[in-house]
Amino acid sequence: MTATKPTFLAGLAASLPIVLGYFPIAFSFGVAATRAGFTATEAFALSLLIYAGASQFLALALLSSAAPVLVTAFTLIAMNLRHVLYGPALMREAGEGASTRHAWAWAFGLTDEVFGQALGALARGQRFSEAWMSGLGIGAYAAWVGGTVVGALAGGGALDGWPALSAGLGFMLPALFLALLLSILSRRQLPVIAVAGLVTVAATLAISATSGILMGMLAGALAGLVRR
Amino acid sequence: MNWELLTVALMAGAANWAFRALPVILRSDRMAASGWLERFLSATGPAAIATLFVAAILPTLSPEMRAFAPVAVGTLAVLAAYAAGRSVVLATLAGALAHGLTVWAIGAAIP
Repeated sequence: MTATKPTFLAGLAASLPIVLGYFPIAFSFGVAATRAGFTATEAFALSLLIYAGASQFLALALLSSAAPVLVTAFTLIAMNLRHVLYGPALMREAGEGASTRHAWAWAFGLTDEVFGQALGALARGQRFSEAWMSGLGIGAYAAWVGGTVVGALAGGGALDGWPALSAGLGFMLPALFLALLLSILSRRQLPVIAVAGLVTVAATLAISATSGILMGMLAGALAGLVRR
Repeated sequence: MNWELLTVALMAGAANWAFRALPVILRSDRMAASGWLERFLSATGPAAIATLFVAAILPTLSPEMRAFAPVAVGTLAVLAAYAAGRSVVLATLAGALAHGLTVWAIGAAIP
């Protein structure tokens, strides 16, 4: 156990692997946004305000398919409901004396990867500090928003001459979800994952991709209720 | 600026802030979480990620080898990189790199 509290700069340094991962994903989001007909300012606003990768890509699909505003908003909200569990898990590890005075600011940055990195550091014996959490969060947030802007300014046609790079960036999202799925895979969650996956395939083929996402998540979460 | 987009972004962003920050501010880990709500919430994450993976991979599946090979190679690269390093970020980058390289190799071999 280290005696001193980790600093803001140490947190910023710890964000480096996330920065390397976020920048290209955010870049491909910026490119996808301009391809879908949105401006660079609109892509920037989505990344700045929502700051949740997967749901931003879904936002592009829903907004450009003229889905009703409330349906779109609630779909995105439902998609990010899982983040409710990150705070309690992190603070349980941080301990009773952990300060949360500035949590209103740094806790907005608790994305899947930031949460994973923070929890990992605490599990390895590092002390909790709000300064370190802020450094970690700001590094990741800056990479996300910056990558989006660069991608949006590069524009939808930026990658036309680079089919392999364009394909690789396009595969970033399935790859991210597969890696996240592997990171949470456990025997206990297997029924939930199987039900969600099967219902998504069935509803996508029978109705539409958007219905597939909604019904898959709902069916998986409900399968969790049945579990003993 | 499209007002519909701004409304959606503000609503989703406010919800994200509430989901991420409120449990920390309220120290909800001190409340004994149990019962059906806890089971529902704890299943939501895996269900969401499984759904998103399936939804992202479905449109890329094709019986044509030229389209399928990069997806297969990329998927295997994610599995291998995750098994080797247990890092989500590195596994994601490895998958995207393998996918892009396969597209490039196929393009070079069969112009």
